[in-house]
Amino acid sequence: MKKRLSILTLSVLFIGCVPAPKPTVSIGTGIGTRIGSSTQNDSEYGRQPRNYASAIRNYFSSRLRHPKGASFQTSAPKRAYKRKGLAYGGDVAWKGWLVETRIAEQSRTGRYHTPIPHMVLFSGDQIVEDILGSSHKLITIVDK
Amino acid sequence: MANFNTHFTVASGASAVVSATLLSMEVVSPEQAVIAFAIGILGGLLPDVDSSRSTSIKVGFNVLSLLMTIMIIFVKSSTYSLVEMLIVASLVFMGIRYALLEFFRKISKHRGMFHSIPVAIIWGIVIAIVSQWFFDLNSLVSWVYGFMITFGYFVHLILDEIYSVDLGNRRMKKSSGTALKFGMFKNRQQQIQTVIIYLLIPLLFSVAPNTELIKTALFSHEAWLTFTDIILPYDGKWFFH
Repeated sequence: MKKRLSILTLSVLFIGCVPAPKPTVSIGTGIGTRIGSSTQNDSEYGRQPRNYASAIRNYFSSRLRHPKGASFQTSAPKRAYKRKGLAYGGDVAWKGWLVETRIAEQSRTGRYHTPIPHMVLFSGDQIVEDILGSSHKLITIVDK
Repeated sequence: MANFNTHFTVASGASAVVSATLLSMEVVSPEQAVIAFAIGILGGLLPDVDSSRSTSIKVGFNVLSLLMTIMIIFVKSSTYSLVEMLIVASLVFMGIRYALLEFFRKISKHRGMFHSIPVAIIWGIVIAIVSQWFFDLNSLVSWVYGFMITFGYFVHLILDEIYSVDLGNRRMKKSSGTALKFGMFKNRQQQIQTVIIYLLIPLLFSVAPNTELIKTALFSHEAWLTFTDIILPYDGKWFFH
């Protein structure tokens, strides 16, 4: 039993010790770059998405179970990156902009649910993935 | 004590009811409901893995060795040649199916801590962690799978306790109380094991996926309302919606 427990503990520690790649956030300080304009363009994370709110509405209009009457709340885009699952190698799979979104949808009986958080991942203006929830162990949000 | 077939049948029935309910409550998609059903059955067989000659241990290690072999092929298929993959996959399969199984048979004791409530909870957390960290599933689905393994596990433990009642002679069998227990406290070694098991729970929770969504989906007032909505036809029409 002790051996079994130590194997389990080691496995858990191993999972917890997988190193997260350190992002190198480059803030533009060159000629012609306004201070604080790092959110506009970024060599690593790409261009900040424009019209992201309407892009998100369009994206979910065909993906929600009951899109009719759904309401959306979106936050400002944040730089983030996502790693692949450890079963697929654990490398960085995506770097771009993440928009935290809360969607209140009706149930099939017509009652409104509590808004459900989603993380919508952008590469430029293109939505590449949406993830249910407000956090994910494989996603690191760089801008807090 | 219930046998393999009884555990399999009861776990299948119970998992079918729960996964269908989750599907109907729109917590999971149809594909996820099928996986949840399978995980529930697995949970219902898992406790007997500590019995060295049980069918569960053979089935469990067959499934585990095949899963790990497939995973290795998945991960390495882009870099390894066919021969390299064949060698690594064979080593992984043989290592788990035979070497690890033999090792496990030597160290495990039937009806030890494996048949306990905290271990059922630990399995749920471990499945949630693996689902998110390894397979990139979202927090809700990861916890649904974790919930299903713990649910199946509980079904097994409760069934074992039910079978420890001898209805004919109206007495409790010797095995009574050895399945659905909070820990083992008879001697110092058992007490240490129990403490370690309980300490593991918060440790695992610290690396587990966020629980916000599963709480809302299954353990909230809203979940209860959603559940009551789906019991009977909401529009009053039976079968013709």
